[in-house]
Amino acid sequence: MVALVFILGFILLIYFFTYRIKNGYAPILRPIRAFEVLKGLTGRAIESGRTLHLSLGVGGIADETTADSLAGLAVLNYLAEQASVTGVSPTVSMANPMVMLYAQNTLQVAHANDPESAKEASRQIRWIAPQPIAYAAGVMNMLAIDEPEANVMVGSFGDEYLLMGEVAARREVAHIGGSSNPNTLPFIYASAEETLLGEEIYAAEAYLRKRSSHIASLLAQDTMRWLIALIILGNIIIVSIRN
Amino acid sequence: MKIGRVTATVVAFVTGFLVLLDMAAQQSWGDIFGISGLLVRWATIITTFAVLLGFVNVMTVHVSRLRSRKPCTIYSAVLLISMLGTLLLGIGGPTSTNSQFIFNFILQPLEATFSALLALFIATAAFRAFRIHDLESFFFVLFALIVLLGQLPLGIYLWSELPMFKDWILTVPTMAGIRGILLGVALGTIASGLRILLGIDRPYTD
Repeated sequence: MVALVFILGFILLIYFFTYRIKNGYAPILRPIRAFEVLKGLTGRAIESGRTLHLSLGVGGIADETTADSLAGLAVLNYLAEQASVTGVSPTVSMANPMVMLYAQNTLQVAHANDPESAKEASRQIRWIAPQPIAYAAGVMNMLAIDEPEANVMVGSFGDEYLLMGEVAARREVAHIGGSSNPNTLPFIYASAEETLLGEEIYAAEAYLRKRSSHIASLLAQDTMRWLIALIILGNIIIVSIRN
Repeated sequence: MKIGRVTATVVAFVTGFLVLLDMAAQQSWGDIFGISGLLVRWATIITTFAVLLGFVNVMTVHVSRLRSRKPCTIYSAVLLISMLGTLLLGIGGPTSTNSQFIFNFILQPLEATFSALLALFIATAAFRAFRIHDLESFFFVLFALIVLLGQLPLGIYLWSELPMFKDWILTVPTMAGIRGILLGVALGTIASGLRILLGIDRPYTD
């Protein structure tokens, strides 16, 4: 019951902040450098004549890694929209075939007005292998052979992240990495130029596309975080006084 | 608005809320609806079909690579031959002798070998990460060195309190950081789920 009340409160907060933003409230989002760099990657790819590689990770779409996979798909959504204008489609790799279907759908939606370019963009989607290590081997090979201009890795990753990240770092490819798994974060910090740590990966739509409902969702998250922090602090004080 | 888009949104909304209610009900009153397990089983079946589409994707990508005569096409040829070979040998099912041979004597040793590379890669990544270029990287190196020396028997000879300090770093500031990250991730995950339930995000529509 507590969980339902919590979720209901969350929903109300999202609608409340969406209403406020649509009525002129302009919240200041703290700058996240990785998103700023991401915005310029398509331009860099056009200038260099090379591709972009986006890894959606080893997560699925019907398990506990769904949110991470959706975060990667949000980045793809942004890059696909840019691709529909510029014609530079990113090469997208993933380990889960369901995520592949979502990625194909994202590219087709972005290229809805041009079926030929939609077909071309869909050819850039690569399902590599379901096992994380085999997937990493495939991505390492792609980074070595295709020599992309930039490597973006946003999704669910485990230790295999380092295998791919190190290849990108050694080849001096512009590299943005993001994951919500605390065990993977040190690997991202060590190998990526720009990092999206923890919950930052879920903010892609709010930062890249500035949609009011997504910014409202961030504000709702912040409010909930403060609420939880205050409850924790309050409990600590009460327990300390009792003892 | 397209009828397909409306149908997909309604199906996502109804299924999402049913699973959510089922999960909440399981905590308080036990398995009432029993629907979340059923839907997860359906998702598993759909995933199986998605693997077939993934197979087609791999074939298409590597056949077109072979046709284009790009550099390193030999790898694509090896991949296609291995894939079709495994398919033929594995016709007897995953428990057949041939399948077991492929998994136990080819796939597993290859994966183990690849995993072993991680040790080397951790060393090279650490070497790069240990370059101090700002205050953040200074603290990164400082704490990493303390933990590293605290783990070694040599550390206690340098400073007798070092192992205790290392334990404090791991159990207090590191744990606090991890809990902070996990709290943020949990809230981010809930927000992502709710955006889909409310129809704000619709990754499933055309």
